[in-house]
Amino acid sequence: MPIQINTALKGKEYPPYTVTIERGRIKDFARAIGDTNPFYLDDRVGAASEFGDVIAPPTFPITFRDEGFDTSAFLAELGTDISRILHGEQEFELHRPMRPGETYLCRPRVADIYEKSGRTGAMAFVVRETAVTDTQGELVATLRGVTVIRL
Amino acid sequence: MRYAKVYAEDVEAGQALPALVKGPIQQIQLTRYAGASGDFNPIHQDDEFAKAAGMGGVFGHGMLTMGFVAQCVTDWAGAGSVRKIGVRFQGLVRLKDVITCTGTVVGKSSSTDGVHLVDVELTAKNQKGEKVVTGKATVALPSRNG
Repeated sequence: MPIQINTALKGKEYPPYTVTIERGRIKDFARAIGDTNPFYLDDRVGAASEFGDVIAPPTFPITFRDEGFDTSAFLAELGTDISRILHGEQEFELHRPMRPGETYLCRPRVADIYEKSGRTGAMAFVVRETAVTDTQGELVATLRGVTVIRL
Repeated sequence: MRYAKVYAEDVEAGQALPALVKGPIQQIQLTRYAGASGDFNPIHQDDEFAKAAGMGGVFGHGMLTMGFVAQCVTDWAGAGSVRKIGVRFQGLVRLKDVITCTGTVVGKSSSTDGVHLVDVELTAKNQKGEKVVTGKATVALPSRNG
């Protein structure tokens, strides 16, 4: 029996939450990818750079996604669970480099939900957007992820 | 003149980015990426769970492969140059896979403030030549005159 996805969640906004970028987290993230760029890993290189400190790699904001957002509860609300989902697409708009110690506000929302039939059967697509702003309210980044649910 | 790995004047449509080869993918890297990213989906760690979920076994985080593709861009254009990057996950990355990331410049915009936006198309393939990720990125490159 295929599962039913709760499409009423389309457009829903979730409570904003803050994240603070930790120096060690940036380095762990870069090393986990195997990216040894000194602009991410070397504090002296960062301090001497135009950025004034080490910066985060482009895909680092993915660490914000679930920081203040309960993905398990969200999947349950959608009517599915973690064993049925795949990451379909991901996009980051990056308005400026992110540095250690900076605090951001993340505002998640469900931008879209739609269903399609593919060669592997019926699937639902859930588009989740997270807007990331700094303490002045300036947009720093936007995350847009598409989760594919095998129905 | 601002230091840069590559200047807008040196870039033309059709130009290839240097390829980046990553892997072979090992379980320990997926575990490390889980810890670093906060994505602890057992489908990337627990072979029995992944098989029970109908996925045929453990596979890599799509975001890890996206990280490889982003590195391909920043190794060429420099850290902090990426303004936008978007990918579609086309195929699963399995343990022992070797991933080759490539990119091609597809366009360049002119700019008056000394910064030029350059669009690149990106692909990551496994050792069988199957696409696992396709995507696009926009990088900001400084001008030699700016």
